[in-house]
Amino acid sequence: MSDKSKGLNKAREIYSNNSQRARELKAAGKKIIGYPCVYVPLELLTALDLVPYRTCGDIKEPVTEADRALPHSFCPIMRNCLDCALKGKNDFLDGMVTIHSCDPQEKTARIWESYTNYPYFHFIDMPVTVRPEALEYFKSQLNDFRKTLEAFTGKKLPKDKLEAAIKSYNQQRTLVRELYELTKPSPPRISGTEIVQVVKALTSLPVSEGNDLLTEVIGEVKSRTDVPEKKLTRLLIWSSTLDDADIMQVFEDKANVVMNESCGGIRAYRAAVKSTYDPLEGLASYYLNEITCARTFRQATPGETGKDYARDLQSRFGYLKGIIRDWKISGAVMLLVRYCDPFAFEMPSLKDYFDSIGVPSTYIEYDYTTGALAPLRTRAEAFLETISQ
Amino acid sequence: MYPLRAKVNETYLKSVEAIQAGKPAVWAMLNFYYGDPVLKAMDVEVVYPENYGAIAAAMGVAREYLDRADAEGFPTHLCGYSLTTLGYASRMMKELKGQIPPEAPLGGMPKPLFLMSSAAICDARYKWFQALGRYMDAPVWPLEAPIPGIKEFFIEGYYGRMVKLGVKHLRDFVAFVEKMVGKKMDWDKLDKTANLMIEVNRVWHEINELRKVNPCPMHSRDFWSAMPAALFLAGDLEDSLRLYQDMYKEVKDRVNSHIGAVPNEKYRLVFAELPPWHSLSFFDKLAERGWNFVIESFGYHPPIPLDLSKVSDPLERITKFSLQFLVGYYEDARKQNVLGGTSAYPYLKYAKEWKCDGAILHPLISCRSASTHLPYVSDMLMEKLKVPSLSIEGDIVDLRLFNPEDALAKAEPFEESMEHYRKVRKQEGLDW
Repeated sequence: MSDKSKGLNKAREIYSNNSQRARELKAAGKKIIGYPCVYVPLELLTALDLVPYRTCGDIKEPVTEADRALPHSFCPIMRNCLDCALKGKNDFLDGMVTIHSCDPQEKTARIWESYTNYPYFHFIDMPVTVRPEALEYFKSQLNDFRKTLEAFTGKKLPKDKLEAAIKSYNQQRTLVRELYELTKPSPPRISGTEIVQVVKALTSLPVSEGNDLLTEVIGEVKSRTDVPEKKLTRLLIWSSTLDDADIMQVFEDKANVVMNESCGGIRAYRAAVKSTYDPLEGLASYYLNEITCARTFRQATPGETGKDYARDLQSRFGYLKGIIRDWKISGAVMLLVRYCDPFAFEMPSLKDYFDSIGVPSTYIEYDYTTGALAPLRTRAEAFLETISQ
Repeated sequence: MYPLRAKVNETYLKSVEAIQAGKPAVWAMLNFYYGDPVLKAMDVEVVYPENYGAIAAAMGVAREYLDRADAEGFPTHLCGYSLTTLGYASRMMKELKGQIPPEAPLGGMPKPLFLMSSAAICDARYKWFQALGRYMDAPVWPLEAPIPGIKEFFIEGYYGRMVKLGVKHLRDFVAFVEKMVGKKMDWDKLDKTANLMIEVNRVWHEINELRKVNPCPMHSRDFWSAMPAALFLAGDLEDSLRLYQDMYKEVKDRVNSHIGAVPNEKYRLVFAELPPWHSLSFFDKLAERGWNFVIESFGYHPPIPLDLSKVSDPLERITKFSLQFLVGYYEDARKQNVLGGTSAYPYLKYAKEWKCDGAILHPLISCRSASTHLPYVSDMLMEKLKVPSLSIEGDIVDLRLFNPEDALAKAEPFEESMEHYRKVRKQEGLDW
């Protein structure tokens, strides 16, 4: 019998009750800071002994309270996240850090701040380009974030503590990449559903505990005999957020999802923060440049005076080619959360890119509710049947 | 005010003629004064696909472009203006090899030399131009547009860092435009253009201040008609300045003579956000009931005037003027402890200072950025000022979503609500 307090079982347990550890830490005197998006540099929180906690949505939770604050035709994930907050599900938080990673994040941050009353609330502005002046501005935003955290905690942030936190998060990124190495075999040694549970668990744990969990999971997965069943299709899912195991399971009933390129999967872990004399410089560069979310405007050459569509596609989606080759992807799903504009605008161009490298793909939309599961299943099965013929 | 409207129309047609005669055109997003003076000083003809989307909708040709965008794989819930442009670009470039579609209203939009997008207000405004790369080889310059939080803005040095970003970014943008157009910037001309832009908007601001009186001398319809010359810098800026000055005199005369924009002003209202361009006659019906729309559409209003006369670098002056559009309200918002509403706070100020009885909110199904804050605006107006709101759904291009009859049917009950809250405000010591 497997140990429920370890490895995949533990990850599943935390996934199912993801605020439990934060509540325990709160009871032990720690301060817990919520964040809704992977663009928030958690290193700064950890270095000041604050515990980051990702305020995720819950597809099983019907949105009721957020109706008074946000329109229906708005990012369903942010509506759901805010709804959970307004229902008091995050009542253990000592603060929130929000970021202008996309328009719904920015707009919801304003509303969130207005309708809640945390002792600490901070908004980080974020440029849309990766130009040098944008990077400098973003670094100054992180410095302001540092100052507000210092004021909140009453502590100065020493450079060595920040460097240590960066090292811990880089270790986490390495471990998640190592975990994804285990989806390369056929059949994969770990399912996409299990990885969703692990990654979501990480976002509700202090980084050291998350790293311990990952180490346990990797060890368990490497030695397990009950690997997932081999399916006909090895799938890549590209999305803004895929952080729900039920949604992932819809695809995994008929395919092996070996790569989840979303912020519920590998996206926030694909690269590492570089070591720089001023740690904020490395952090700014990582968060602005390295996270491959559609919110960032990328060009083949910044400030280019000519345009070549193939080069443009390469600059926006080129990183997917290596993934497709190394993970032997046989089909790609562009999974759109309804009303997500940055990702919605990418759909035809990403389809062009997949076509150009010979990967069959489809675009499927859903609204982050349990009601979406049945139509999602129909669309997923139709696509998988098509490409398996 | 009518000569100004006529001038805007004339300018648009002249621009179309110039482009048809072969002058290079740039497609631009509304950018809140940031990039426009640069393009104007470089004598580039500019067309605004956002506006063109509204024109295509009003003239009944948007449907074809929307269908094309749908067939191309763009989700239908994207911004209606963007889908219209994407469908238009697909037709022009894939089907007509770069020729303007014959059915395109008002001369159409020719293939641009480059695209100037903006990160201000919403994601669509830079992702949409990026998506156009699928159809045309025009390069894109995405203008950065910082949006600080209200209390964060007051962190020491914050404003200076925003200015630094803006000036450096604009300097690089000037270099980009120079390369694209093949000529050097005339810095004296840019300096003059920036000053004219600022002065035009100062006069325009003063005109709107005159609307605080009772009866209000100018209706929102006149505001929307007159605003393009100040917001988009449409037309010759010296002409525009003269026309706004004339308009100021005209409105001031009406104030002095106690002439209201509607015959018997019974209710003073604020309108948020984008109007139903295709159904503006709707407001005439409400005017018959004594509804006067005395203030509106924060996103189209000029910045609160700021003395920039001592700023010698025109790029710094432009940057500070552009930033003022948003942050001009921040000090007030902080004092009022309204931290949540970068776009919402102005409505509190409007309702209070223009003494509004009610607010009409116009959420748009495919323009989420102009709609997201409206429930909060409604809450805030009621909580802080006891001003009721009426929400009327619509869309920017899908005309079917706006139902004027249904909206008019709500007028009478809303009047009862406005009457009720007049009494409540009085009880609470508010002065209107």
